[in-house]
Amino acid sequence: MSPLTSLGRKTLNTLESLGRSAIFLAQALFHLPRIEGARLWLRQMYFVGVMSLPIVAVSGLFIGMVIALQGYLVLSGFGADEALGQMVALSLLRELAPVVTALLFAGRAGSALTAEIGLMKATEQLSSMEMIGVDPLRRVISPRLWAGFLSMPILTVFFSVIGIAGGYLVGVDWLGVDQGSFWGNMQGSVVFMDDVMNGMLKSVVFGVVVTWIAVFQGYDLIPTSEGISRATTRTVVFGSLAVLGLDFILTALMFGEF
Amino acid sequence: MSDSTLVSVENLHFSRAGRPIFSGVDLEIPKGRITAIMGPSGTGKTTLLKLIAGQLTPDSGSVHVGKDNVHRLSRQALFRMRRRMGMLFQSGALFSDLSVFENVAFPLRVHTDLPEHMIRDLVLIKLQAVGLRGARDLMPAELSGGMTRRVALARAIALDPDLIMYDEPFVGQDPISMGVLVTLIRRLNSAFNMTAIVVSHDIKETLSIADHVYVIADGRVMASGSPASLREAQDPRVSQFIQGQPDGPVPFHYPSKNFYEDILAPSEVS
Repeated sequence: MSPLTSLGRKTLNTLESLGRSAIFLAQALFHLPRIEGARLWLRQMYFVGVMSLPIVAVSGLFIGMVIALQGYLVLSGFGADEALGQMVALSLLRELAPVVTALLFAGRAGSALTAEIGLMKATEQLSSMEMIGVDPLRRVISPRLWAGFLSMPILTVFFSVIGIAGGYLVGVDWLGVDQGSFWGNMQGSVVFMDDVMNGMLKSVVFGVVVTWIAVFQGYDLIPTSEGISRATTRTVVFGSLAVLGLDFILTALMFGEF
Repeated sequence: MSDSTLVSVENLHFSRAGRPIFSGVDLEIPKGRITAIMGPSGTGKTTLLKLIAGQLTPDSGSVHVGKDNVHRLSRQALFRMRRRMGMLFQSGALFSDLSVFENVAFPLRVHTDLPEHMIRDLVLIKLQAVGLRGARDLMPAELSGGMTRRVALARAIALDPDLIMYDEPFVGQDPISMGVLVTLIRRLNSAFNMTAIVVSHDIKETLSIADHVYVIADGRVMASGSPASLREAQDPRVSQFIQGQPDGPVPFHYPSKNFYEDILAPSEVS
């Protein structure tokens, strides 16, 4: 096969896969969880959201502590260590909380979703569900999609709050920054609509994209052990790259002054 | 399609990755009878069941179940039609996160509004029929292969379907389970007038329960008739299969170049 043919085939395959994933998302979204689906959705909120909380909380704590430590070293050189609260809060709310939460989510919940759905496909559980007259898009995919969409912003809030607490621990309790300056500067500089809501908007977008990638990779994989392994890897790689790429675009749109 | 026919397959063509699986299959499944679809491994018997259930789409031709043209139905109508079908998968395909009881109760819970005590009774009746009422609290991972298949059968008949499709029901069964399954399939058919399609290459067991048999090979129906007529068939391909002869018109070997030349050929391993 000539390189040109190979390139053309790969391009066509990619476009076909994108088309399939768009139809898949549309079909799954139209199947909103109903009353009987609420229980399934809550169960998935537990697996996708609550089970991701420990890793998100611990990461948030350490990242908040590291920002405070690094920030203090730079700011104290200019005698501006009172601005530490502002620096910790803005770094977390605008950037680190949505991005790092999404990366952690892709690694923990995303890979688990892909592997779970993939194994259901490989063991014919999805086929048998279809034969019982139950649409897997409604029963399996839709609750997981909605759980992912809603978990991500909530996890991001936890990450931010715990990160700021970590920054406070290091900045105020350990390094001796004035408590009043830490909170005062933070309150004075953080704008709710600009900083908090833009960060949340990012987390909503990341939640949609990462969960979409994870469930589609699971649903569309080749049902073999190698297929599951490849799809799980693709979820983490595609999910992480999509988060980082979209973060740049969203940051440019939200905070860029063109 | 006559009133006595439940499933009608007409001029079915299907290929996978460019390789033709079916090139013009015609068959009819009569109501209330057990029809066996037999043939060597890899002839697409399971694929045929998936085409009948609408899980795969043919390249051309049609499949009717009752009055429904399966591949012209909307997604919702297709799922509604499947409620009248049951399928016993080769692997059992039980839901691994649900217990035996909940697996059998699953179709009843999603398709009926029956009260819990009635669901319990129905599930226990179905589990009793397959001899596994005592295993109701076990999880699928705790079951043997034979038990998995029997639980899957109980689940497949939970809604008392009009049509039940068995995909290789006898593979990997010990003699006792095999006997139980053979009896169950026969009893379900006679007691509930359930139409059955049995896909299998276990000749003795299948011929013992089937009313009518189709033998598929090379993408077509090679022979059809009653078990007795197939046992006496003169066609060498049919008799080779029915009598289980290792080689004959249907080759044992996958197509390849001459063995002698292949062995003496320069090594392909560098």
